[in-house]
Amino acid sequence: MIATAFSLLVPMETEEAQIARGLRRRDPDLLDALIEQYQHRLLRYLLHLTGNRAVAEDLFQETWLRVLEKGHLYDGRNRFVTWLMSIGHNVAIDHLRKRNLSSLDEMKDPEDGAPFEPPASGPSPFDLASAQQQQEKFHDALAQVAPIFREVLVLRFQEQMKLEEIAQLIRIPVSTVKTRIYRGVQALRPALKGGVQ
Amino acid sequence: MTDHDHERAIDLIARQGVEDVSTSDRSWLESHVALCPECAEYAEDFGRTGELLRSVAITASPALVMTTQARLRARALYLQEQRSRLVLIAISFCIGAMSSALSAWLWWRFGGWVAQHVGMPSAIVEPGILLFLLLPAIVIAGLLLAFPRPVFEGALLTGLAREREGEIR
Repeated sequence: MIATAFSLLVPMETEEAQIARGLRRRDPDLLDALIEQYQHRLLRYLLHLTGNRAVAEDLFQETWLRVLEKGHLYDGRNRFVTWLMSIGHNVAIDHLRKRNLSSLDEMKDPEDGAPFEPPASGPSPFDLASAQQQQEKFHDALAQVAPIFREVLVLRFQEQMKLEEIAQLIRIPVSTVKTRIYRGVQALRPALKGGVQ
Repeated sequence: MTDHDHERAIDLIARQGVEDVSTSDRSWLESHVALCPECAEYAEDFGRTGELLRSVAITASPALVMTTQARLRARALYLQEQRSRLVLIAISFCIGAMSSALSAWLWWRFGGWVAQHVGMPSAIVEPGILLFLLLPAIVIAGLLLAFPRPVFEGALLTGLAREREGEIR
């Protein structure tokens, strides 16, 4: 959508370069379009990271405000989504520091019993009820996994990011990303064994 | 089968699907997984985790998106105003500096003219007139240096605090 709008003006530029140029200008139309485009991905990431919808929504807004303010720092050489998620990651870390929590593991709100909301789509078919129940079991298990592992699992599976991109985003070595994915999957193993057939 | 083989298998499993894995690596992984139950189990769990994670449908509400967009527009406007204000301040400073330099030069010339008509040496009158003009600024600067926490600073801070309080309300 953004690429189409801008390609008419500057056909030789990549989408990332166009976004970088728009962010430097603090173009409100571009920002609106970016929010529309990345809304679900960013919220999903923050929700998995924090385990709390209200906190995730606050951080969602905070992330976009930071995108506006720090937009000139995006050079367009990497994918915008990676940069956006790294801003979201930093915002979440700052939130954690404000709450004086010592690690990402303590990020989950103790008052929030059900960190993951069920799918927002309409009623599921009857024959999928069992599968859905097992999915919920899986999500419960996922909520119990330490956020540092959950984060890499979300980035790898939902955001389809490369290991190098995840490493760059979280600022950890690629080997650590692999270890965290491995441990995350291992932690989910009991839930997977009782998963959907 | 070495530890290196397991590590390679875990690396390739993590990369498959998102990154380009060569045909030779893929066939090596297939043969390894066929022989190694541990890696086979990991590959299966890995695939299952991805499947279940992708099935999570978390969506942002339209209200959240609209609020964020509105906040961003307001913030962008504020930053733009702040920027244009800074530009105005910079322009005012430049104009002020230029007019100060021009008026100093004019007063200097005036001092020379006075010295010529009064019959006093211009080396005394010219700097004297400049010193007279700069005297208020020099006195205030001296007072500020002598009293680091002058009265008006306190008043300024109180005013700012009141303004902030009003904003919060």
